Amino acid sequence: MTRIACLLVPGADEPTQRLLLDVALAHSPSVEDGGSGIVYLDLRGLEALFGDEEKIARRLLNTIAERGLTGRIGVAGSRAGSRFAARSGDDISIIPPGGEAHKLGPAPLALLDLDPRMAARFGRWGIRTLGELADLPSRGLAERLGGEGPWLQRLARGEDPIPLRLWTPPLVFEESAECPWGVETLEPLVDLAAGLAEILCARLSRHGFSADAFEWSCRLADRTTHEGACAPAAPLSDPAAAAALVRSSLEAHPPCAAVEEVTLRARPVRVATAQPRFDEPTRPSPRQLTAALARLGPLVDARGIGSPLILDTHRPDAHQMTPFTLSPSPCPLPHWGRGELNPSPLRGESRVRGGPKASQILAMCRMRPPRPVEVTLAAGIPAHLRAAGLAGRIVAGAGPWRISGDWWTDASFARDEWDVELADGTLCRLARDGRGWRLEAIYD
Amino acid sequence: MAISIESLPPPGWDGEGFDGLLAAFLPGRLSEIVGPRSSGGGSLLLALLSRATARGGLVALVDASDSLDPVTAARAGLDLRALLWVRCGGRPAAAWSAVDLLARCTGFAAIALDLGAAGDTAPLSVGTRLQRAAAGSGAAVIVRTSRHLLGGAAALVVSVRRVRARWTGADQPTRLGGLVSEARVLRSRSDPRLAMPERAWLIEWQA
Repeated sequence: MTRIACLLVPGADEPTQRLLLDVALAHSPSVEDGGSGIVYLDLRGLEALFGDEEKIARRLLNTIAERGLTGRIGVAGSRAGSRFAARSGDDISIIPPGGEAHKLGPAPLALLDLDPRMAARFGRWGIRTLGELADLPSRGLAERLGGEGPWLQRLARGEDPIPLRLWTPPLVFEESAECPWGVETLEPLVDLAAGLAEILCARLSRHGFSADAFEWSCRLADRTTHEGACAPAAPLSDPAAAAALVRSSLEAHPPCAAVEEVTLRARPVRVATAQPRFDEPTRPSPRQLTAALARLGPLVDARGIGSPLILDTHRPDAHQMTPFTLSPSPCPLPHWGRGELNPSPLRGESRVRGGPKASQILAMCRMRPPRPVEVTLAAGIPAHLRAAGLAGRIVAGAGPWRISGDWWTDASFARDEWDVELADGTLCRLARDGRGWRLEAIYD
Repeated sequence: MAISIESLPPPGWDGEGFDGLLAAFLPGRLSEIVGPRSSGGGSLLLALLSRATARGGLVALVDASDSLDPVTAARAGLDLRALLWVRCGGRPAAAWSAVDLLARCTGFAAIALDLGAAGDTAPLSVGTRLQRAAAGSGAAVIVRTSRHLLGGAAALVVSVRRVRARWTGADQPTRLGGLVSEARVLRSRSDPRLAMPERAWLIEWQA
């Protein structure tokens, strides 16, 4: 026989609700989150542990009182019954088995959490209490409301056929290792962190998860905390790849003092496995790609590894790096790589000797940062250019093309741009603003 | 007698046109694009990467001198989401190490190294290492340099030279219209006919 306790703490916020659920879970393995300030517990089988229902309820109230909360508990054979008891009675209100129908009779119909349509229909019928609903003939109710009618009637009579929707605490994937002697060199620290990564990955695999981010923090001997994070190119649960990733992240950001404790957290994600299409190009395995990117980090600046994202501005060379990921899956594109950019009307046909025509775009090699140049003018037109590693007479040029923008911000820009051809054939993009001439790019 | 399908060139192959030149950069092989700046070599590299992403592949560009212009790349059809851009900050040694590492990672359609202005030297025996890595991973590994660096390790060597710049405007140039460059295959292990002296591709790149 089902016996359900309703723990009611009015006005509970999210942390308090979590606390209530934790307290309930410490007493019963079957706990349901009933919404703000309401937690249901299945009391079956708890007598041997905690005593009768009143003792269990008292114990629950004492436990939340130790945390500064006050609440009420109702015990009945159904969720609706226990909630009614908790709302209407004293601190502890117990409806004995078989007494639900009698006790619930005067309770308002709103206790069933009816949807507005159904509540309005019962209102039109003049049904206000659970007892009035319970007394209706079941057959007539089924004829008018379908299967929902008898089901609501059973609830009104204190029968609850649906088991509790079990609440389980969210999984926390975090591992720590203490080293009270203080790790002063990097090598044992990264070994320690790599070991934690392997343990975490084993736990992730057991629960069918992968990690799409790792966060590590080191408690240092000088009472400060050194933190960092790293993200694989694709969610992974492979211990070797995760260890390599964490290892490279720590090596890139070493702590400045001895480490007394290192903690590693993984952000779990559920990865749906999908059969790749037969006509799909091969892609790097997450494990291999993550390991490769992790090894690239120490070679070059990790901030310089990723995919470029063009920013929505007319500012020249406005882009930012985004992490390179394997998702979304790249799809064969009919013509253009990105939807943001339209095909240029300048895109034309190239002549190919003895074959069909093809269209291509002239690449531009940016100077980062733009290189200062000395430009000699003749009648206001650039005539000679001198820069580090590049000098010559300008034989052709077009400009100035005046561009400006972002004038409504502190980072406004305004400049004149020239395309010039040097005597040796080098094609350059020059820019001139208040700071002088600069070599912006070389066409290649 | 009917012509069998096996006797026809593979789909996408155009032995005479520009597609034929692009198709000469085979997967699992090390290729080299040689030419001075403003010769069209960078544009050819961009066209190769764009072609790979247009077919749904992932590509990696090891950029020794941080010179890729994403806007131009996107205009050329390169799917930037499918591009792993490794910026080496003008350190050619790091760039060679990075491309060596990536070339061993299977699953990329193309892995390119653009040395740009960062340098025109190569570590000892790097060509052989890259050739073996490309054969193992199945990716087309392409190196863009100003002069021939990889020796006999490169299965394909394409030389690019500038023919002329194209300016638009009636009396005097008003804007840069493009660049005409000529590409020649100096060596092709897979198809030696491509390397015949009279064979050349005249390509007009639009600015």
